[in-house]
Order: sequence, then C-alpha cells, then structure tokens
Amino acid sequence: MSATEASPPPAALDARPRPWRGFLALALRECHRVLRLWTQTTLAPVISSLLFIVVFGLSLGGKINQIDGFDYEIFIVPGLIAMAMAQAVYSNNSSTIFQARNDRYIDDVLAAPMHSSQMNLGFQVGGVFRAVLIGGALTALAIPLTGAPVEHPAALLAAVVMLLAGFGALGIVVGIYAQTFDHISFINNIVILPLTFLGGVFYSVDRLGSPWEQLSHANPLFYVVEAVRYGFLGSSDVSPWLAFGVITAMAAALIASSQYLFATGRKLKP
Amino acid sequence: MQPRFGFLRERVAIIGGMSSALELRGLSKRYDDGTLALDSLDLDVPEGSFFGLLGPNGAGKTTLIGAVCNLVRPTGGEIKVFGLPGGSLEARSMIGIAEQEPNLDRFLTVRETLVYHGGYYGMRRQDAIARADRIIDVFDLRAKADTRAPKLSGGMRRRLLLARALLHEPRLVILDEPTAGVDVELRHDLWRYIRRLHEQGTSILLTTHYLEEAETLCGEIALISAGRIVARDTADGLKRRYEAETLEDVYLKTVATGRASQEPVAP
Repeated sequence: MSATEASPPPAALDARPRPWRGFLALALRECHRVLRLWTQTTLAPVISSLLFIVVFGLSLGGKINQIDGFDYEIFIVPGLIAMAMAQAVYSNNSSTIFQARNDRYIDDVLAAPMHSSQMNLGFQVGGVFRAVLIGGALTALAIPLTGAPVEHPAALLAAVVMLLAGFGALGIVVGIYAQTFDHISFINNIVILPLTFLGGVFYSVDRLGSPWEQLSHANPLFYVVEAVRYGFLGSSDVSPWLAFGVITAMAAALIASSQYLFATGRKLKP
Repeated sequence: MQPRFGFLRERVAIIGGMSSALELRGLSKRYDDGTLALDSLDLDVPEGSFFGLLGPNGAGKTTLIGAVCNLVRPTGGEIKVFGLPGGSLEARSMIGIAEQEPNLDRFLTVRETLVYHGGYYGMRRQDAIARADRIIDVFDLRAKADTRAPKLSGGMRRRLLLARALLHEPRLVILDEPTAGVDVELRHDLWRYIRRLHEQGTSILLTTHYLEEAETLCGEIALISAGRIVARDTADGLKRRYEAETLEDVYLKTVATGRASQEPVAP
C-alpha cells in the first residue's frame, strides 16, 4: 500500500449534501443490477409470456369464441402484459431489498446523505426499469403477432404507472419484512400469480356465474388487468373510472407503507 | 509510538477547547428484545483526534457506531457530528464508516463499488470515477479493480471496505475493528494508511480488540462496558490512573471487573 505517494487529500471542506445525486446513483445501481442479470430478469419473463400468447392465443384461440368482441389471442394480450410487468417489478424490488438487507450492503445506502423518500424511490427504479423492458418487448412482439390495438394510450400509460408504483412498493415492503427468500416467493406464487389469473387475464369475469363474478370484483388484481385492458382494447368489464380509482388507491396505500418503513427505519435498522 | 502531528494537534484541540467531531449526550439504545446496549452514554471525540474505543463483545461499541451512522435507531439521547444534528444529511455526509463485517455489494466490481458509493454521497460521477481510480492505487486494488466483491480474498475485502469509507473524503472516519482477521502485513499497511490520514486532519474513531493497536495508534482511549464509558484518557494516563504497567492491565481492572464503572468519567 503506497500511502505516502498516493494518499488522499485532506478531508473535504465542502460537505454540502447533494441528495439527488445519491438518488441517481442508487437508481443507476438498481438498473445496473437488472442488466447484469438480464437473462434472469428480462429474457426469461419475456419468453414465458410470449409462450402464453402463442400457445393459448394463437394455437387454441381459434377454437374459442370471441370475448367482448375481440378474438381470444387479442383479448389475453393486455392481461398477460400486466401480469408479466406486475411480477417483474414485485420480484425485482423484493429481491434487491432482501439481498441488500441480508448482506448488509444496504448500510452503504442508509448511512449516505439521502432523504428516506429518495432511498425508497431509488430502490423502486430497478423494478420499474425491468418491468418497462419486459412490457415494452412484449408489446412490440404481441402487437404484430396478434394485431392487438392500443385504443387509449394515455389511459394505458396511467394504468401502467399505477401498476408499477403499487407492485413496486409491495415488493419493497415484502423485501423489508422477509426473513427468507421463501417469503418473497410465497407472496409471488401464492398471492400475486393466482389473483392475477383469477383477475380475468384469460377470461371475462362477466361470464362467471354468481358468486364467482362478485368474488372476482373483490380481487384488486382484477382492476389492474381491467385498467390495462381498457388502455389496449378500449373496453373493460367494469367502468374504467372504477378500475383506475381502485388501482390508484392501492398504489397510494402501498407507497405510503414503503415510505413509512424507510422514514422510520423500522425493520431496516435495529 | 504516537502519530507525531496528529497527537500534537489532538493535544492542542483538547487544551484549546476546539470543537468536537462527535458529541454524544445521554445516548441510549434498548433493542426490541429488551437488551440495553447503550445506557445514557456521554462521549466527546475532539476534532482531529485519533480516538480509540475499547471494550468486550457486547459492550455497545458497534451499537454506538451504528447510532452515529444512521444504522441503528437510538431510543434516547443526542448525537452531534461537528456540531450538526446526528442523522442530518450534513452530518452523514461528513462520516465515513468501515463496518466490522465486510458488507460489500455482491453485484458490483471493486471499481463500481467505489464509484456508486461516491454517487450515494453526492459526488459527480466523473469525480467519483477519478477518485476511485486514485484510491484503487492507494489500497493496491488495481489488479482486482474489475473483480466482483464475492470473489475477493478476505484481505482485499478489508482494503475495499476502508477505501469505500474514505472515498468521499469524510472528516470523521469510523473504523469498527478494521484489522480483525487480517494478517500482520496487511495490518501494518492499514495502520500506516490510517496514520497518514489522521496526520492530514481527519478525525478517527477506532474500535478494536487489539490493545496494542489502540495503544500504538490512538491519542486517547475510552473503555466501554455494558453500554457506558467506564474510563477515558491517553494510554499513559490510563496506566497511571489505574497503576497498571500495560493497557491490558487497565482493561482487566476496568472493563473486566467493572471497577471503574462506579467512577464518574468526564465526557
């Protein structure tokens, strides 16, 4: 170690914190992580969702009558994209926080001069980046394959923003509370995936008999799928206002929860 | 052997009543399981000092450091860093910490670890890259600059931890047992570097189990036991006060027996 010839200069006198630079660095680090693991984080979900479209839509779709006036392969595209994006943003954020806590390198962020909201938002960015990559790739592939339209781009954008904010914050909360990776997988496999399937990705809940139709309306994921479907197809099983209202409330509650954990340090700091 | 200039500056600081790098008043921490790790602890670390904190496992050293660095939620008391409220952005930007357990980002290389750390502390990216490049040489990490942290040896991880703590040029560097599990050669390298840093004006708070390390490096030493400071002075002062020949004897008379715990100690 050549301390004498290359030692650092004396302590910096200009110690003004610049927390937005900290946020940008954290956001970049999160995107860096997604790209470093791109086969796991991006390629695999795109392939699996595309297989759903090809197998269920293009192969079996011809044998299924139109739903709500759309060919089956078109009808399932919005729900599959919503499901892939929700799973991506949740999985990414929960695992990145869990790993950072588990290996304690989260301390490097917690000790840094950043506001708690900037830490919360910085950790969100990786999941959003990953979900947008997946959603963008699926949209780019599915539209020419199936002919699915984008009837209301602004509504679609709003629905995607709420989806990403809500599921991203859920990932942060679960990643902070999780004691093992099993806890993260449990929420994904036992809660998000089934509720998304039951939320009308592959069918219209209007076709379900009572009480299943009513029960479906108690499923928050149903409103996520419906909001995204409205953006793509211009139609949905419930009023788009109701769908947007529910997903906005859900996103706000989950963001408030994740922010509470960062602001108080609960479960992040002993 | 004392670091020449740092020791002098420290004495001047104490005599002249210069400001504190770190002030703790009534600092308490009770964990959720009821363990009282810090018990209304008072401590002043003078600006420019090389300050040692000694104590057995579970005495509260790491909790104290965590509380100062926004990594532990204190349950009472006050922290000031260079006169600024502990936990404020300004205070946090002035501290660099090398924790006891290597806690390096598993996805990043040595260079990336340093550059992102600089970003977290508000450095411009190009400045962080340039600074990382310099500090990589200082700590002999050049050959491993593009290696990810999990593939580094224990010694390399220690070097990287220290390099990371210093990257943003903090005014107060906190080293939590930086030489634990390190071979003799690297330990002496680290000592030399830390001394040099101190001579350049950086305040240093060091915790260690190695008494000879504290005696060699630190201008002043505080002994902590059961979450309280039980004795504090220079190494020679402690030996005189407890009529001991070595710092180890002082340690045994104070921390191990708790003899000094009843005596008032100036913060």
